[in-house]
Amino acid sequence: MSHVPFRARGEDVEASFDFVVVGSGAGGAAAAVTLARAGKTVAVVEAGAWREPEDYPHSTYGAMRDLMDDWGTQATVGQALWPVVQARTVGGTTVINSAICVRTPVDIFRQWEAEHGISGLETKMFASMDRLEKDLAVGPVPTASWGKSNLMAKKAEHALGWANPHPMLRYANECGGTSQCLQGCRSKKKQSMAVTYVPEVKQRGGTIFSSAPVDRIVFEGTRAVGVSGRFVHPQTTQKGGAFTLRARHAVVVAASVTHSPVLLMRSGLKLQALGKFFRAHPGFGVFGCHDEPVDMNVGTTQGWASMAFRESHGFKLETLGIPLELVASRLAGGGTLLMERLAQYRNIALWTLTTRAESIGSVHRSPFSPRPVIRYGLDKADMARARHGLVMLAKQHFAAGARSILPGIIGLPEELGPDQVKLLEEAPLDPRRYIAVLTHLFGGCVMGQTEKTSVTDGLGRVHGTQGLVVADASVIPTNLGVNPQHTIMALAQVFAEALV
Amino acid sequence: MLWLLRSAIVMTYPRTPGLPGIEDCALDEYLARFKKETGWIIWLGTITGALLFHLTPLLTVYLPLPAFLLPSKLGDLHARRVMTTRIYLLRQAVWLVKLCAGLCWGADPEVRRRFALAPLPKDPGTWRRT
Ligand SMILES: Cc1cc2nc3c(=O)[nH]c(=O)nc-3n(C[C@H](O)[C@H](O)[C@H](O)COP(=O)(O)OP(=O)(O)OC[C@H]3O[C@@H](n4cnc5c(N)ncnc54)[C@H](O)[C@@H]3O)c2cc1C
Ligand code: SF4
Repeated sequence: MSHVPFRARGEDVEASFDFVVVGSGAGGAAAAVTLARAGKTVAVVEAGAWREPEDYPHSTYGAMRDLMDDWGTQATVGQALWPVVQARTVGGTTVINSAICVRTPVDIFRQWEAEHGISGLETKMFASMDRLEKDLAVGPVPTASWGKSNLMAKKAEHALGWANPHPMLRYANECGGTSQCLQGCRSKKKQSMAVTYVPEVKQRGGTIFSSAPVDRIVFEGTRAVGVSGRFVHPQTTQKGGAFTLRARHAVVVAASVTHSPVLLMRSGLKLQALGKFFRAHPGFGVFGCHDEPVDMNVGTTQGWASMAFRESHGFKLETLGIPLELVASRLAGGGTLLMERLAQYRNIALWTLTTRAESIGSVHRSPFSPRPVIRYGLDKADMARARHGLVMLAKQHFAAGARSILPGIIGLPEELGPDQVKLLEEAPLDPRRYIAVLTHLFGGCVMGQTEKTSVTDGLGRVHGTQGLVVADASVIPTNLGVNPQHTIMALAQVFAEALV
Repeated sequence: MLWLLRSAIVMTYPRTPGLPGIEDCALDEYLARFKKETGWIIWLGTITGALLFHLTPLLTVYLPLPAFLLPSKLGDLHARRVMTTRIYLLRQAVWLVKLCAGLCWGADPEVRRRFALAPLPKDPGTWRRT
């Protein structure tokens, strides 16, 4: 039993392990491999199917159907309906992400200590990051794979005299620049958890349960002793056999920021802070229209980034090649005007920003479906941050020679020339006028010292329970201002080390 | 209901001198697949978007007619305006129509050829069974 895929009704599974890890994404796989390397028997229980790179889809439709959680249609409620994108597959969101690797900024450790009483993680996490970087072939984007959009952004950065303290590093072994990160890397260059740590756990004797969404954590008194659920068919979504997996030492929950809190709620935990302190780095973008073809879909999906404004202004800038199938839904209007804009596809480049937003939301259990409900919106200060970032991107596009930009803000002209950036500077701050996407998520089971303000302690151990640890992005009590995968994996490894 | 969605989609992505419209992109086969494969929430949302698309020309071109009865020039103006309307929930609902259609249009081999993009092979839809 080293991989247990979908089982039909009547083919129930019961088994025992030292540790049961729920979720095989950044946090789950990193925790599981640490436990497996320590010689423990590990079960990784994953809601999505296990797809090899040959199984990955080519189209965006296929990516939404086969790899994403709820077809990528989860959205925030409250203020604006912004998509919350996560994966549901073995390897989790690392399968569809852009593989950008950034170390946890040291100021974050100071903030965790001052505001949440969390200390003692820094040295251990940096040691873990050293290992992760070796394991996952972290390196710069190969020159041949840059692509024009990334190169233009880099040139414009120089022209504007922006400092870039941290050039881009990625979890990719000789990235071939196919711009297919969102559909999963068929050429196995991206070192997602599905092609690295999950197979290693299996090789070391672990068992991977796929298409196996955990419904509940099983408790004996206050001790977590296992998990239970029913397999779900990857294609028909019909329910199959039941599984009950016992954990001799601990259950490690790493089902993501939206699913971990809801799983804990479903399992009867009533902590005051559960589902609270949801945060994100909302992503906004500006298209630049150039006279020459840019072909943003040639080259590394995200091959350039700048951290120059993280501390001073609260955002990070990045390039992004989005597939043709998604460009139309990012462009304004419909009818012949939309088709005229689409005709320019080869000449437009999308550059984006991730906002280090301070606004706080919450994750709830839906009374009607297993889909989590995410209440979230941005306050004026965060919107001003985002708008400032959009202005910087506009300036960068013009420095790169763009003839105009498409800001995509309702109420502003659809196209702005170089002498109209002022309009963007004064754009209204109503979030509903902007297109944003949430891909970096935090909180819901945050670490801290007291039961009132947190769900876990500084090692992910859930307050008031034994044998229950949370090891994913949901424990992170602040935003980071940088791409989170490295921090999540390092945290998960440190938590797992403490268990062995 | 399907024809409502189809006609909203065709008005949103019309054929132009420069590019194939969505009518040229095996739309019927795609819509049948989309209906079969997506969950009912997504299908319901997309159909609601199409319904609102057709019911709102009064707000965009000031005519009390459903969009599918508008003369083609006004229909085109409606498609442009409704996608950027300031009524937020309406804009979000019709955006679902645009998203659904974009997945079909952008994957069409002829459309991709116009942009020097390779055709997309069929999605395997497979997974590891052992
Ligand atoms: C498009 C995109 C691009 C990104 N690019 C980058 C980047 O370049 N660099 C970076 O650092 N970060 C990036 N991120 C963010 C990063 O990928 C995530 O922050 C990270 O993967 C989150 O890790 P996690 O372990 O918390 O959750 P996930 O990686 O999402 O893993 C959670 C897993 O749990 C499973 N699960 C959920 N519920 C259950 C259940 N009940 N039972 C069993 N399993 C369950 C899910 O199916 C999923 O596989 C990106 C994200 C997206 C969406
Ligand atoms: S750009 Fe292409 S080759 Fe590079 S990591 Fe992404 S999918 Fe793989």
